[in-house]
Amino acid sequence: MTSALSYAVWALLGLALVGVWVRSSVPGSSLARPGLVLERLATGPFLRIALVVAWGWMGWHLFAR
Amino acid sequence: MLLVVLVAYALFAASTTAFTRSANIATAVPIVAVVVLAVALWPLRPRPPRLGPDAGHPWRAWVCVFGAVVAWELAEYAARGSRADHPTLSSMLDAVNRYYGLKVIVFFLWLYLGAAIVRRGGRRQRRARSEAQ
Repeated sequence: MTSALSYAVWALLGLALVGVWVRSSVPGSSLARPGLVLERLATGPFLRIALVVAWGWMGWHLFAR
Repeated sequence: MLLVVLVAYALFAASTTAFTRSANIATAVPIVAVVVLAVALWPLRPRPPRLGPDAGHPWRAWVCVFGAVVAWELAEYAARGSRADHPTLSSMLDAVNRYYGLKVIVFFLWLYLGAAIVRRGGRRQRRARSEAQ
């Protein structure tokens, strides 16, 4: 029961992410497209360092450790 | 061309096993490459993208969704009980990574994200340079 609830929440979050992604690609949408979000993160003076560190940590955590 | 290189590298890297020297090296090489490329290609003073005054709140939905993902990840990580009862993103991806074909896809997506980060971080500088010429 507990894991079913957890997976249901993960599924909802995944759907929300896909929904935001799709809505952002509709012409005239006020939402930033994923590329622009990434560009905003990659051009922030401190955010860009955090972004590279987070990306590297994610890869190390998932594939190496 | 870049896509071919990334796919080939993902095919190779996915064949390594976690907690081994080969996996460490296969993962460290792209990390070092992204850091070196970022230092070499990114401007010292970056200029974030400027949006028009009527842009509204272009980031809000993204911040909300990613904030919810982080909050749920932390809640699951801290929850009492087995990891099977409280799966985190890592534990779910560990299960995915047991299958070579799926691990190739996950590794490729990680590499692609790294390449996109490098490209997006230096994009405006390249554009400004090409406009000046």
